[in-house]
Amino acid sequence: MQPFEYVAPETLPDALALLRAHGEEAKVLAGGQSLVPLLNYRLAKPHVVVDVNALPFGDIASDDGRLRLGALVRHHQLEESEVVRRRCPVLADAARCIGNVRVRTLGTVGGSLAHADPAAELPAVMTALDARLTVASARGDRHVDARDFFTGLLTTALAPDELLTAVDVPAVPAHGWAVEELSRRAGDFAVVAVVALLTVDGRGHVDDVRLAFAGVADRPVRARAAEDALRGHEPTSERLALAAAAARAALDPPSDAFVSAAYRGMVAGVLCRRALARAVTRALETR
Amino acid sequence: MADVVAAPEALRVVGRAVPRHDARDKAVAATAYAADWALPGMLHAAVLRSPYPSARIVKLDTARAAAMPGVAVVLTARDVPRNTLATDVPGQTATVGPLRATLHVLAEDRVRHQGEPVALVAAETLELARAAVEAIDVAYERTPGVFTPEAALAPGAPQVHAAGNLLAQWRIARGDVAAALAGAAVVVEGEYTTQLVDAAYLEPESGVAWIDSDGVITIRVSTQVIEHFRDVAEVLRVPQNRVRVIGTYLGGGFGGKEDVTVEVYLGLLALKTGRPVKMVWTRQESLLARAKRHPYRMRYRTGATAAGEILGQQIELLGDAGAYAYLSALVLLYSTVTAAGPYRVPSVEVQARVAYTNNPPTSAMRGFGGMQTVFAYESQMDRVARALGMDAVEIRRINALRRGDRLPVGQVIETHVALPELCERVWAALEPPTPPRAPHVRVGLGLACNLQPYGRIVWLHDWSSAWVGFEMDGSLVVRCGVPDVGGGQASSLCQIAAEVLGVSLERVSVHIADSALTPLAGTTTASRQLYMSGNAVLKASRELREQLLRVAETMLGAEAATLAMTGDLVHAPDGRTLALPDLLRECARAGVPRGHLAVYNAPAGEPVDLATGSGKVFPDYTYGAHAAEVEVDTETGVVRVLRYAAAHDVGRAINPQSVEGQIQGGAVQGLGYGCMEEVLVEDGINLTTSFATYLIPTAADVPDVEPVIVESGEGLGPFNARGIGEPPIGPPAAAVANAIADATGARLTRLPITAERVARALGRLDGTN
Amino acid sequence: MIARMVLNGRSRQVDVRPEHTLLETLRDTLGIFDVKEGCGEGVCGACTVLLDGRPVSSCLVLAPAVRGRAVTTLRGLERDGGLHPLQEAFVRHGAVQCGFCTPGMLLTALAFLEREPRPDREAIRAALEGNLCRCTGYTKIVDAVEAYARDRGHG
Repeated sequence: MQPFEYVAPETLPDALALLRAHGEEAKVLAGGQSLVPLLNYRLAKPHVVVDVNALPFGDIASDDGRLRLGALVRHHQLEESEVVRRRCPVLADAARCIGNVRVRTLGTVGGSLAHADPAAELPAVMTALDARLTVASARGDRHVDARDFFTGLLTTALAPDELLTAVDVPAVPAHGWAVEELSRRAGDFAVVAVVALLTVDGRGHVDDVRLAFAGVADRPVRARAAEDALRGHEPTSERLALAAAAARAALDPPSDAFVSAAYRGMVAGVLCRRALARAVTRALETR
Repeated sequence: MADVVAAPEALRVVGRAVPRHDARDKAVAATAYAADWALPGMLHAAVLRSPYPSARIVKLDTARAAAMPGVAVVLTARDVPRNTLATDVPGQTATVGPLRATLHVLAEDRVRHQGEPVALVAAETLELARAAVEAIDVAYERTPGVFTPEAALAPGAPQVHAAGNLLAQWRIARGDVAAALAGAAVVVEGEYTTQLVDAAYLEPESGVAWIDSDGVITIRVSTQVIEHFRDVAEVLRVPQNRVRVIGTYLGGGFGGKEDVTVEVYLGLLALKTGRPVKMVWTRQESLLARAKRHPYRMRYRTGATAAGEILGQQIELLGDAGAYAYLSALVLLYSTVTAAGPYRVPSVEVQARVAYTNNPPTSAMRGFGGMQTVFAYESQMDRVARALGMDAVEIRRINALRRGDRLPVGQVIETHVALPELCERVWAALEPPTPPRAPHVRVGLGLACNLQPYGRIVWLHDWSSAWVGFEMDGSLVVRCGVPDVGGGQASSLCQIAAEVLGVSLERVSVHIADSALTPLAGTTTASRQLYMSGNAVLKASRELREQLLRVAETMLGAEAATLAMTGDLVHAPDGRTLALPDLLRECARAGVPRGHLAVYNAPAGEPVDLATGSGKVFPDYTYGAHAAEVEVDTETGVVRVLRYAAAHDVGRAINPQSVEGQIQGGAVQGLGYGCMEEVLVEDGINLTTSFATYLIPTAADVPDVEPVIVESGEGLGPFNARGIGEPPIGPPAAAVANAIADATGARLTRLPITAERVARALGRLDGTN
Repeated sequence: MIARMVLNGRSRQVDVRPEHTLLETLRDTLGIFDVKEGCGEGVCGACTVLLDGRPVSSCLVLAPAVRGRAVTTLRGLERDGGLHPLQEAFVRHGAVQCGFCTPGMLLTALAFLEREPRPDREAIRAALEGNLCRCTGYTKIVDAVEAYARDRGHG
């Protein structure tokens, strides 16, 4: 690593002052699972590393079904937390898909969202959940909806002097959920991942439905057309296939050296149908 | 062949699944690998590497880097006393001519592949060394390159080396292939493509060098070949007896540490600075610049009778050597000799070529040319069987080589071939079949066999030596220059010595891999160490035993031939015993040596003309059969290997636990090769220079491998063992491909068999691009 | 800068440089070579240590961030100079070949078994998916972990 100044502020104002002072020259260190490899390979050469781990953002709070996740909540907390499993099991399932056990020990919710890898699980989950992010700066707090937070490949609505501090996950009614993922190898970033959340009403029709993808664009993608195709309908396998086809049709996934766009799109459709089917099964079980 | 075959029940130590002596040290992390070493005043080294696959170096100014505080030295090609490493490859064909495979230590006027070393730095810290590498003022002028062997051999292609892009070619012609194919009831044609892969050992290339007393340049390094001390001496222009290589226990080698890695650079830097120097390559460097396994394109035409007898095979092989020759000509020779598989094929024509390109260089890797061809010939066997409606085991049984048969190259098979038994055993191991767990899932079974030489080519006149001797307290010492790559090379030697000399295994110490202090044993490559050094230790132990028993004879008053050595005692027929320390004291008094050096020479031969099929190329072969049960998700193309069994005839298992470990580990490497691994190179630029992009299997990607050990009692190694280091890596890719064909009817002919390729083969991507 | 940490059960003051990883501090400053470097990006698991009892990639932890925390390397498992029973199981079952992955594999398995004492083979494989091994093919590693969990259960 190229030498840098290391600072570990203990209060939010101190942290924000440092970010304001150093701007682009500073890098925020949370779990470090994306930043430190860049430092090791000298691909990032910040002048200052601001270690925010001492800040009091490591708790999971629940209120009226809503969840408030501090930005420093670790992935393993999502996996193991009783309240997360009860209130929002899709988050626990998604967390289990992240990296390997060591990444889940240190990696944080805030770090994952701020890094904004388009193939990562949590950005897609938060997009599906309509989560609201709290962003702090010396100018005060502001709130950003997850759907507005991710602005492109590895880029977000965060300014250099801003820090993500919390994520609010709205109350999700008793629901069915599923995370389906295809990766090139166990534990790797998703080629495509699908997050499905839905409820089924008393008549057996789909009520609330949210679908989001990872790996199919430069940022997480909400599948509105598929949601519309499903809402208010009985979730027959034909209807799920129709919705999955609608989701696939709306996607224009990228190619890379490993996977073609055509394959990504095809897999997105298959996984979408499977995620919906599993979510429906769960929704009917918990109804 | 070993002279005496003891019945298995008579053996006490050999044949037992004993934990290896090195396992305990490794389990408590007491083993000092090459990078786990530091000396006072040690410098740290880093390499400047070319970012381009083909370019002229138009400027190389090290002044600024050399002037940085803490930088001890910056070296370029000009500073290397003799900048060329060379290997002669005898027996090359007339078309290409005798090959002198050369390599520059540091690039001179041009670079031929991305990652080629251009300059060296040694500095007080690693960070400073890396900063100095970045401070070297270097400019390149890019030149046109060639990136496939086809392009390299096309007229007018840019030349990678002055002598032309055809690096080597071999040809075998046996029988009348055209007539055989014309007369066949079925002819199957296939084209197969294998990919560039990396050895991907967990321990990157590493070492420490220092100048020892008496000016000996001492290099403690992770290598499969301590004999590279000679190469270092040549490069440094010092006498060979002034360079010492101490080989550490390796964190894996798999052929990737057969060629020179860090030792030449370390020798140079230690010599220039007079200080200890450490060099550890990053994973990125290792994946970028280390020689890899050759990608092949293979065309096969196979003809068989209606009864399934193979009549003829026409085979074309084309390999990518990358930018430097390394061992490519020999790798291609292995491919050529094994191209028709472990089968009796009356008419065979093989045309094999390997070409220079501006891709990463390719060289030795586990299987050494004996494995690309398995994918092709076993896919062909499966297609022939399907075309004839034959069972997978049956077609192999009727075509399997038998003792007395000839390989296409003309070599007579002199030992037992257990192929039918191996096939039946693995096929039975996977009974009963797993029912598909969902409607979109299909399950299938695939079988694949192989043959892999063990021991070096006979005209290389291979030999190994070992010293075995007692200390005064009756503890035993084995000295042998074998590098231990993790396969139990050293511990097997202990078992052999303990067996012959009647010593308990705990009382044996082994010193290995020191070019100054241990008798040279040759390379830990070519599945040769158990065979070669095992025989050397066996010979030394037996001769020592005779020597000692001649003394015991007098002490016990019984003829040497009637004496037994077991349980750390010499036993006379009348029940009297002699403690070893007493015997050894008597030896000392009588001036009889307590130790003995032996040299084992492998059966040697002259280079053969492959085209006339005149004779022996390898000492012997190890045979195997693997079976895979796979599950194919017909919607996504995802393939999961559900169960896997792998059988090899190892002649005799010296340590069955180590043999199982070789089989299981080789099979999983082979599965990685079959399903996952690929060094992706686009126009000479490597896109997979990290373990996040170059994927090897994790525990969650592969099933348990059920090892099946068959002991025919026939092999050229000690106690009739055969080599087992490389053979298990061969069949997995073909076994999986054949299982996918069984499950779905789709034939995958390109490695790796990724989910996308399966989906494409199943027509799931029709109508898209 | 000086950072106090608990290293294998003993409180230590360690002189750390900000731009060093925990891995570099352990190996280069403290000479603790039972932590291996295989990739420098947290993928291979050779540098696994336990941080407050949980596995982390020591190559992805900045050294100063460890102040006040407990670090366990393989040496921390030593019991009265003898082998930990899981280490014994690795030796007995042939789970060690080249040995380079072994320290990380052992620590990961132990941390996992703390949370899931009686796992089946599939769960063991899933738990070890972040620790690459190139030699064994994993079967004997799973054998060893399974046998240890079983024997410990009966003991």
